[in-house]
Amino acid sequence: MMAQIQKDNDRLDLAPKKFNMWIFIFTSFMFFAALTSGFIVYSGGKGHGLNVIMPDAFKYSTAVIIISSITLLLASKAAKQLQFAKQRMFLWLTFVLGVAFFAIQVYAWYVLTYKMNVYLTDPNASRSFVYIFTGMHLLHIIAAILLLLNTLAGTYKNIPQVRNLFKMEMTSIFWHFLGIIWIYLYVFLLLNQN
Amino acid sequence: MGFRKFINSKTLLSFITAFMLLGTNLLMAQTEAAATTGGQTDAPQVDWTGVAYYLLLFFLVCLGVAVIGKILKIYDLTLKIQGKKGMKWNTVMAVVCLVFLIAGLYGAYWSFTVQGSMTLPEAASVHGVKIDEMFTVTTVLTMIVFFITQILLFGFLFQYRHSDKRRAHFLPHNNTIEKIWTIAPAIVLTVLVVFGFFTWQTIMNTTDTKGDINIDITGHQFAWELRYPGKDGVLGPKDFRMVSAANKLGVNFKKRSSFDDLQVDTMYLPVNKSIRLNIQALDVIHSVYMPHFRVQLNAVPGLPTFFKFTPTITTAQMRTQLDDPKFEYLVYCNKICGGGHYNMQKVVRVVTEAEYQAWLSRQKPYLNDALRKELHFAAADQPKTESQNRLALNN
Amino acid sequence: MSTLAVHDHGVAHHDDHGHEHHHNQSFLSKYVFSMDHKMIAKQFLITGITMAVIAMILSILFRIQLAYPDKTFPLLTTLLGRFAPNGRISADFYLSLVTIHGTIMVFFVLTAGLSGTFANLLIPLQIGARDMASPFMNMLSYWFFFMASVVMLSSFLVQKGPASGGWTIYPPLSALPKAMPGSGEGMTLWLISMVMFVASSLMGGINYVSTVLNMRTKGMDLWKMPLTIWALFLTAILGILAFPVLVAGVVLLIFDRSFGTSFYLSDIVLNGVQQPYEGGSPILFQHLFWFLGHPEVYIVIMPAMGISSEVMSVNSRKPIFGYHAMVYSLIGITVLSFIVWGHHMFVTGMNPFLGGVFMITTLIIAVPSAVKTFNWLATLWRGNIRFTPAMLFAIGMVSFFISGGLTGIFLGNAALDINLHDTYFVVAHFHLVMGSAAIFGMLAGVYHWFPKMFGKMMDEKLGYLHFWLTFIGAYLVFFPMHFMGLDGVPRRYYAFTEFVSMQRWLTVNTFITWAAIMAACAQVAFLYNFISSIFIGKKATQNPWESNTLEWTTPVEHLHGNWPGEIPTVYRWPYDYSKPGAEEDYIPQTVPFSQTMSSNQAHDFEDNPKGLEELNKFNSTLKANEQVK
Ligand code: HEM
Ligand SMILES: [Cu+2]
Ligand SMILES: [Cu+2]
Repeated sequence: MMAQIQKDNDRLDLAPKKFNMWIFIFTSFMFFAALTSGFIVYSGGKGHGLNVIMPDAFKYSTAVIIISSITLLLASKAAKQLQFAKQRMFLWLTFVLGVAFFAIQVYAWYVLTYKMNVYLTDPNASRSFVYIFTGMHLLHIIAAILLLLNTLAGTYKNIPQVRNLFKMEMTSIFWHFLGIIWIYLYVFLLLNQN
Repeated sequence: MGFRKFINSKTLLSFITAFMLLGTNLLMAQTEAAATTGGQTDAPQVDWTGVAYYLLLFFLVCLGVAVIGKILKIYDLTLKIQGKKGMKWNTVMAVVCLVFLIAGLYGAYWSFTVQGSMTLPEAASVHGVKIDEMFTVTTVLTMIVFFITQILLFGFLFQYRHSDKRRAHFLPHNNTIEKIWTIAPAIVLTVLVVFGFFTWQTIMNTTDTKGDINIDITGHQFAWELRYPGKDGVLGPKDFRMVSAANKLGVNFKKRSSFDDLQVDTMYLPVNKSIRLNIQALDVIHSVYMPHFRVQLNAVPGLPTFFKFTPTITTAQMRTQLDDPKFEYLVYCNKICGGGHYNMQKVVRVVTEAEYQAWLSRQKPYLNDALRKELHFAAADQPKTESQNRLALNN
Repeated sequence: MSTLAVHDHGVAHHDDHGHEHHHNQSFLSKYVFSMDHKMIAKQFLITGITMAVIAMILSILFRIQLAYPDKTFPLLTTLLGRFAPNGRISADFYLSLVTIHGTIMVFFVLTAGLSGTFANLLIPLQIGARDMASPFMNMLSYWFFFMASVVMLSSFLVQKGPASGGWTIYPPLSALPKAMPGSGEGMTLWLISMVMFVASSLMGGINYVSTVLNMRTKGMDLWKMPLTIWALFLTAILGILAFPVLVAGVVLLIFDRSFGTSFYLSDIVLNGVQQPYEGGSPILFQHLFWFLGHPEVYIVIMPAMGISSEVMSVNSRKPIFGYHAMVYSLIGITVLSFIVWGHHMFVTGMNPFLGGVFMITTLIIAVPSAVKTFNWLATLWRGNIRFTPAMLFAIGMVSFFISGGLTGIFLGNAALDINLHDTYFVVAHFHLVMGSAAIFGMLAGVYHWFPKMFGKMMDEKLGYLHFWLTFIGAYLVFFPMHFMGLDGVPRRYYAFTEFVSMQRWLTVNTFITWAAIMAACAQVAFLYNFISSIFIGKKATQNPWESNTLEWTTPVEHLHGNWPGEIPTVYRWPYDYSKPGAEEDYIPQTVPFSQTMSSNQAHDFEDNPKGLEELNKFNSTLKANEQVK
């Protein structure tokens, strides 16, 4: 009896799970750090600079992902104040912005390939790296969007507020992290573009 | 009960011996038969009796182990029934540890003397001697540590085996001694590092020592190709796009320096001359490994590298030294490169300067007839460029 | 009730109800998709052992080829079909065997099988937690591992055979499907399997770190954790930092293989055909690979070190010598292992100065390794040594670690590595220091915690037999290889028949093969012991080794949540063995100092002034009493 209650209490202890998310973010960061280090080793060793002016689309996607972080913040705030309708609205907005980000990145690929003749299979692999960076980031974005949808679904299902906040928090950590990673990658590319 | 088991095991033992004799006979017969018919039959027959023999042998060993185990258990029980203590397995293990220590030390000694004497002969290059010195120093230091620690390890096991009368000595830490054995290895390692670092730098950082002779060695699946410079002493440039059936290495014949390059089969090196090996690969990574000269460097496609060294012992000298008239220096491939990796060798002959010159004068140019023809064909298809003109002139 | 005897803080009302709420779990949720860390540990262990047996059989197959390069074995054709035409393993399949053997042993057995088993089993039990931070992720971690194993093995079913470029899969060999048969679908499966494997390792590792940091029971501060936990914790950190880098390298390789990029490929003419790759750098892959690869070797050895430390302390009935030094050296190894990867690349044509730098860092990492060795020796000194099979295996681990670690000093020296790189000397080095040492650590753990996992005891005599045959066998196999390496015999050679100078090693090779076969047969003793003990073994008592750590305060019968009632509180470090003045020669971590006044020492209260005061008071009254007498 006691054991059962105790155990359930332990189960509800969500702090370690949140910690898991932080560590995951760390691994994810290592992954992108490895890719960018690969870029440095490659372009340094081979003397292959990038020599590509980044398409403007990246500017727009950067703006979009920053705005999406703000809307997600607003959603979190609403959730804490128990304004669930507002929370839902901002979550939907974030979702739309996420999808928009995705679309803009794909558009940027289009521009790179068809307008600027920068190919994935370029003999200068520094240029291939641009696709790898954005592609791998987009994979993460897909995961984040799924997580967001899960949280969104939760708001329709009348789950306990603790869990709602927990889900919000997990989603936020991941989402903001992806925003930061994108800015990191973009700045990295800008610094190396010639 | 114990007695019956004992009889059992005895009969079993004789059974095993008989079986083994029989089986060995069978097996011998089998190998002979295989040897006689091996050449003719394409699909060899599985020798099921041999397989069954080994399987049965294994089961018998297991059975033997089981029987011995049972006997020990019963012996143990009888001891206990008689009011004695039973088998002292702990002591048995402590003794086995001691036996292992002694046997192991002897084994290591044996291995060092017998197998140790089968290792490479003295280094046949200038820098190799330095490497060997390092090696000796490192070996002496590490072997001292090896023998001391292993003796202590197994010695302690025997010395401090369990006894009910005694308690272990409660000793959680001792900062002084811990500091000592952190600092001592640190010092020894520092010495080795400094020594090694400078040796390494002098071997690899050879931009200032000029290579008297430039030799091109290129790895591909599964052979090495050699190219020597002609009279100009300069190797022509290469480009992988120019590879063709006749131009295996893709030598660029738009450049003059390529024309007198020589294609050779055996790597002849004049003794006491500094050699610069230019190392490349065509397809996958290979590794130029010449253990007698203590030379190794990977051959990486797209990343030309070089290794400079000076051979000091001629092949003839080494033959008398090793008392082996057939001895040859060799280049091996030492980076996994596919199915033929185990057989990528090239003979290296270190000779006197005179012999070297004589040999060199007999070598054929890389630009052989087939290649000429090929390049002419190419020339016919294209508007004549300056270089092709020159090529024609050169003919 | 005996299960409660160790708890001193009398939670009076428990246990009678403990079984009431035993909801009947279905077979599926209890044994298959279990979220209980103890069950997951067992799943990891059994899968790991299975993979180990498979990898061992592969090694015997290629050892047969090396011992009898000119003999035909029709049986091989029957067993392996097209891979062994005319009774001999083909050269390509030989390389496949070596590659898959290495991959399985390093990743599937010694990473997942070792960390997966013992981190799952011991972390919650030894720090006093009911389960992992996220049991669900834990379950996923196992199933990803399982799928990775299945995919890896399924590559034997592919027409052209499994991956065969060595476990280090250097491109271009692994990147060009035409370069060798194994670089086709076999390599694709290898990559898929490894990606799943990394996912599994990361999920596991994240859980281990989070659990250790967040879920320790009352009183269990970091400096009261057993060394097993320290080792597993730091191992998990290494994995978290290193595995993503491997994924990055593998992603680029996948793009080169399948999408025509040229990250690693440049200037390639394969079989006379120019390939459309330019500008790539094969060395880049090696950097990314070894940035994982070197930490990986410590991922393999550190849990074995932790297990051996614990087992040796328990069975010498002595505290581990220099607990703090042991922890700091583990931390030192963890940090340093990230800056030494270049020692695998001395002869790739890397900048020689860089080589020099890596050589310095490499030899620095030998210092913490040496400290650990000396501390183990000091732990045995004046102990009261019990030779359980676990203890023997822990000792074997130390012996192998010494033998193999010393040759690392040769290889870490760039100048010496010129002639030793990729020879049998390297094979001998890493099989001793990593292969044998880590396997022995793992076996020590299995023998030691078998009672905790299965509630039964393993047979000791069979354990002895298993140990001695394996220990001697491993030395017989790997010791002579040093000398082959010193004769310049390269590794990954299909046969030593083509070079005249290598033919004299043939007898040695035959000897090695038979030693390997003997050692392999000895594993039958282990397997029999392991399986039969699960079913017919003697029932275990609660604390069969008289050990201090928390896991032995849980009841023998497993229950979800580990402890009935409250989780015990921890008062002391785990190594109070043979303390002078104590009644028994061990004092579990759950015994407060107030109950052991006669054995307390000033040292116990280093960061607890109040306790120290009390101790002094106690001692002075003791003295006063004596004087009165
Ligand atoms: C004393 C500390 C050690 C030093 C200085 C050291 C040094 C080295 C060096 C320099 C190499 C590269 C040799 C070559 O390829 O030419 C090497 C290879 C290797 N070492 Fe160590 N090592 C040490 C300890 C360890 C430990 C503790 C492990 C594993 C637990 C380990 C596992 C390996 C493995 C697996 C390889 C071979 C990798 C391959 O397949 O090429 N080493 N070691
Ligand atoms: Cu090769
Ligand atoms: Cu390493």
